[in-house]
Amino acid sequence: MTGLVTMLGSGAMSNDIEGIADSDVMLVIGSNTTETHPVIGLRMQQAAKEHGARIIVADPRRIKLVDNACLWLNQKPGTDIALVNALCHVIVRDDLVDLDFIKERTENFEAFAASVAECTPEWAEKITGVPAADIEKAANIYGTADRAAIFYTMGITKHTCGTDNVRALANLALVTGNLGKRSAGLNPLRGQNNVQGASDMGCLPIFFPGYQRVDDDAARARFEELWGGPLPSKPGLTATEMTQAMIEGRIEALWIMGENPVISDPNSNHARKALENVNFLVVQDIFLTETAELADVVLPAAVFAEKEGTFTNTERRVQRVRQALQPPKGALDDLTIIQLISSRMDYGQELIPYHSLPGRQRNLTAKAEEVFNEISQAWPALAGINYRRLENSGIQWPCPSADHPGTSILFEDGFPIGRAGFMPVSWKGSEELPDAEYPFILTTGRVLYQYHTGTMTRRSKVLETADQGPFIEINPSDAEALHIEDGVQVRVISRRGKIMLPARVTSGISPGVTFIPFHYKEAAANLLTNDALDPISKIPEAKVCAIRIEAAATGS
Amino acid sequence: MKIIINGMEIIAREGKTILEAAEQADIYIPTLCYVRGRKADNPCGLCIVEVEGHETPVRACDTKIQEGMSISTDSEVLKEQREERLSILAETHFGDCKAPCNLTCPGQINVQGYIAHVAKGEYEEALRLVMERNPFPFSVGRVCPRFCETRCRRLLIDEPVSINHLKRFVADWCMANKIDLKFSKGPSTGKKIAVIGGGPAGLTAAYFLTRKGHEVTVFEAEPELGGMLRYGLPEYKIPKEVLDYEINTILRLGINVRLSQKWGVDYTLQDLKDQGFAATLIAIGAPDDKPLEIPGSFLPGVIPASVFLRQVKMGEKLDFGRRAAVIGGNNIAMEVARSLVRTGVDEVTIIYPRAKLEMPANQRNIGEAEREDVQFQLMTTPVEISASKSGLDIELIRMKLGEPDKRGIRLPVAVPGSTLHLQVDTVVTSLGKAASNTGFAGGSLEDTLEITPAGNVKANPRTFLTNLDGIYAAGDVTSGPRTVIQTVVAARRSAENIHAEIMGLPKESEGRFNFTRGKSFDDVDLRNFDGVATKLREKMPERLSERAVQDFDEVKLGFSEKMARKEAERCLSCGCTAFDRCNLKDLCIAENINLKKTGMGKVPAYDRDSSHPAIVVDLNKCIFCQRCINSCEYEALDLSASGFDEKGRPIGISLRFNENCVSCGKCVDNCSTGALNKKEQIVPIVNEEFQKVPTTCPYCGTGCQLELNVKGNTLMEVTSDPDQLPNYGDICVKGRFGHSFISHPDRLTTPLVRRQKGGPLEPASWEEALDIVVGTFRCVLGDSGPDALAGLSSARCTVEENYAFQKFFRLRIGTNNVDHCARY
Repeated sequence: MTGLVTMLGSGAMSNDIEGIADSDVMLVIGSNTTETHPVIGLRMQQAAKEHGARIIVADPRRIKLVDNACLWLNQKPGTDIALVNALCHVIVRDDLVDLDFIKERTENFEAFAASVAECTPEWAEKITGVPAADIEKAANIYGTADRAAIFYTMGITKHTCGTDNVRALANLALVTGNLGKRSAGLNPLRGQNNVQGASDMGCLPIFFPGYQRVDDDAARARFEELWGGPLPSKPGLTATEMTQAMIEGRIEALWIMGENPVISDPNSNHARKALENVNFLVVQDIFLTETAELADVVLPAAVFAEKEGTFTNTERRVQRVRQALQPPKGALDDLTIIQLISSRMDYGQELIPYHSLPGRQRNLTAKAEEVFNEISQAWPALAGINYRRLENSGIQWPCPSADHPGTSILFEDGFPIGRAGFMPVSWKGSEELPDAEYPFILTTGRVLYQYHTGTMTRRSKVLETADQGPFIEINPSDAEALHIEDGVQVRVISRRGKIMLPARVTSGISPGVTFIPFHYKEAAANLLTNDALDPISKIPEAKVCAIRIEAAATGS
Repeated sequence: MKIIINGMEIIAREGKTILEAAEQADIYIPTLCYVRGRKADNPCGLCIVEVEGHETPVRACDTKIQEGMSISTDSEVLKEQREERLSILAETHFGDCKAPCNLTCPGQINVQGYIAHVAKGEYEEALRLVMERNPFPFSVGRVCPRFCETRCRRLLIDEPVSINHLKRFVADWCMANKIDLKFSKGPSTGKKIAVIGGGPAGLTAAYFLTRKGHEVTVFEAEPELGGMLRYGLPEYKIPKEVLDYEINTILRLGINVRLSQKWGVDYTLQDLKDQGFAATLIAIGAPDDKPLEIPGSFLPGVIPASVFLRQVKMGEKLDFGRRAAVIGGNNIAMEVARSLVRTGVDEVTIIYPRAKLEMPANQRNIGEAEREDVQFQLMTTPVEISASKSGLDIELIRMKLGEPDKRGIRLPVAVPGSTLHLQVDTVVTSLGKAASNTGFAGGSLEDTLEITPAGNVKANPRTFLTNLDGIYAAGDVTSGPRTVIQTVVAARRSAENIHAEIMGLPKESEGRFNFTRGKSFDDVDLRNFDGVATKLREKMPERLSERAVQDFDEVKLGFSEKMARKEAERCLSCGCTAFDRCNLKDLCIAENINLKKTGMGKVPAYDRDSSHPAIVVDLNKCIFCQRCINSCEYEALDLSASGFDEKGRPIGISLRFNENCVSCGKCVDNCSTGALNKKEQIVPIVNEEFQKVPTTCPYCGTGCQLELNVKGNTLMEVTSDPDQLPNYGDICVKGRFGHSFISHPDRLTTPLVRRQKGGPLEPASWEEALDIVVGTFRCVLGDSGPDALAGLSSARCTVEENYAFQKFFRLRIGTNNVDHCARY
């Protein structure tokens, strides 16, 4: 997101899901779409089968979508910039650029073109492992398409160079004029139901709701007026910086609402240490998660089916969440909990103004709809949305007025910052690369039947039955060299931790590369992963680290 | 393009089939194989229509529309052909719609449904399901003769499921856990209804009428509600506190009660009419004992059963002597005998003119009396009672069975000269009861109320209307003593009828259509149970008889939760879990198919296949409509038949999920019968109302729109609307099946606090937890400033929650230290 805001003026998915059907070409990079976003993956498969769309998959694993792809670029983890810059190189070299678009809507093209001049396919082959001919072919397919869309997820962002990875992709979309039109665009797929909404709402250390900077005096003045109180101008700490601050004792009290960083954070031993170190930890969740076990106070919350509200999906569509069930006796929905704490902090002050309904018993708190009405005042992109309009179907922001239908495609009428700016980026290796002691690359991800740290999916019987549990994917040649057979227990060790799990020997992964899904607390991949940060977004490098593998029976 | 269907002009796009055009115009054409946008390889042949200019009917699914086409969808010829085709499909189908227990229950309760809820640990929902049709689960769960268990097919393997004990378990569990089922009064109709009698019949009727929105007033002659349940059944059967709880649950709906109001004394039927009651229901039960018509029946010490039981219930300290006799062999007689034992009588003898097996009492009740040392003087009848020096002398005569009469019944006749005598201190007579031995009085309406020769109120068995306008009667008052469940059923039906009549609505009738694997045990092929392991029923824990007879405390102690779960798991789930969505059944009903004529399958041809993680396959129900493969987006099903018989029915069907399957469950929603079922959805929805709540999936960022199918407070299953953005009915395995975490026992239900560093997390009140949070936040804020606090929000929470969270940190704390873990 940080990568895109500076270049384009918005970091959200530019296009919509419905447009997938009419894409000519899709570059799917760092996204195992059929498993992580199954219905979007299905639309891609259907577009390929039924509409002849051509799919290019760039991934270190032979993911399911490769079955429907015309080309699989089997890249090494952490080499995205080299690959994408080489694609841009060919496109510029062969004059597949959209000159009108570049002239009218972008700036800094010359510098960018110069920056990829050296990035030949042959150069990239050495770094990525993808044959130069395939890079040429991919560039040609993408560059000649009328409507070419890029889809990516954490495979792009969870790197020390995550911001630059995203910029490289934005350059690719800009150079071919694939922004601001249907069935094209730059499409980060959000991994969780409301990542978009949580970001939109300013649960970010530098932004108020609607990406209005806290250190922008005008923006702050607007919020001070709306909220009726002074607001801090100093940007806060990111999640990963908080971890360090807790270890150093600079943060003394932490309130976690509905997250489980002990499993989900890279180098989770470090995260655990921080949470153990902080003086006071409040965790609000539906289960006693590994994180909640460390808390001083645990507050029982409600699940999605037990509350009213909205989620904003990956294509910026604000959609209703409706209460179907009563929460278990003793649990409260998060919105009520926040307001109860706030009103106790500051007697007589309501966090969100509410209207007491006569004759009806209720907690003295604002209802979700009342909160939403305030949000639509706080951020012009939601000004035209209210619950009544959401009754039948969701609306994609920006939706500035009550008669606005919502925006399915961003940038159709220009970029919010005027001209989009190319931003040259250069490839550097991942922070931690294989060496003699830790000879394998580990990359992590998800599987279809599980979700995140498994607090929900692992308590759903069908999913647990269908899923096969933790595993490490390893190429047959590596397995042979290590005398490891399919299904045997192995010990996987990194500089930060070790876990035991069965090996899955498959030619779907390249020699030297391994993969572990991160859902399983009994074999938590994030005990191994690296928490080195992207210098700009402060996102940790969960997707590449170095490990060694030992057959469990031979001892450590 | 313009076409005409059944005389109606319709505009449709070129290239559409007749079926698609009709669907668009909301004209219904029956089909079992159609999947939108797909072509069936093996058409079901039901969508036939007549097209002007064509000699024979054509299939609507594969005939394209043409300009000006005139189509008829419902001629007699079409109906006949459809019926023929449906009959063949019906013969192919082998399974049960409703389970035998459900069909046998006089209350038509969804028995399999509540057993399944118990098996899933959903006790609250189980009770709610029972109370959809029976507001007396505590009492019925203790005294029901269990018609359902007599037809439980588990009997063909080992023993029937202990259904009634499960009903009692869920009721008791909800009472112990103080569960409020949240039944509520319906929207007000503005009608007032009077119910005479506050026993099981009157309260049942009041319960259902109130749920329909009527203002009901119950008039009870006694000082407390409950009728026979309170004054006729001793406390060792139904403890007072249980009955009080049960009745209070009913009253909480908002029912007016007038106690100690005697009909004919304090008010008359005319008074009720004058007070504006739109209808009056007489539900006084059968309070009058039938008299013992022999000399000496009026002697002191000879007591009618209801008087005796009432005295016992009121706790009056009475001396019934050392020896007592009970005359009669009905259920009440058994309770009288057992109560006599408990009042300290040493020798209790039941006198009955026939054998034990011929007693009208339930054999289970007889056995319970026997276990408590009640004696039986069988094949004798009393001739005269006289006062003797030591108490009462009963002269008895022996009986034998006489010659069969015209109907073949052998009535007992006296054996001349076989007189014998029994010396007792007390005689209690239990010879049956009636609404009134003398008729009703008090007003002109009472005088003209028609009574049957047996002393009951005469009422139409369908409408429950008496001979008087607006005056209804239901329960024992019309039939004489019956079981509680039968009374409840009668009262419920009367309530439904009164509601329909005073609101001018058509009466709801429940169809009798039912596929079955065998109506009687003899019809059921034992191959149905191949692979079912023997597992005996759980034994009800009871107090030892020697101890139990010392007091009036309950004898049967009830199942533990573990026992209930184990017992519920014994259920064979005979009824179809696709009951609410089966198109074959619905079409058979719509087209008036008579299964007796068409026939059904008789033996299972296929084993059930549970190897899929989410789906159970029962090919015996498959009619080979192929909607499963046609609706699958992943080509994940291999469905084939080895051949077809002369009628076109498939033989040797095989269905396999291949490696493409992603367990999305769409095939199940598209199955036209119950051949495909969701493994976790084991509760059939028979007639119960459920809601579809549209919402957004909590998993990935796609934001698929889901429909949560909710019954009571339980998520039954998840479906998706094919017309709704952005997923158009497609959902993944998590969106479909990943929701049982909601009701997982691990859910946090109380705040936890660590009262000292290094100590354990302990349950706390919300007050205490919030005080600790706020107190500590204030301290940190005061000592170290706002930037020593931080918040991590969640991409799982709502937009509104995230907004409030960051606003709290920025405005109340004064820091921008707020982030969420997945902002990338």
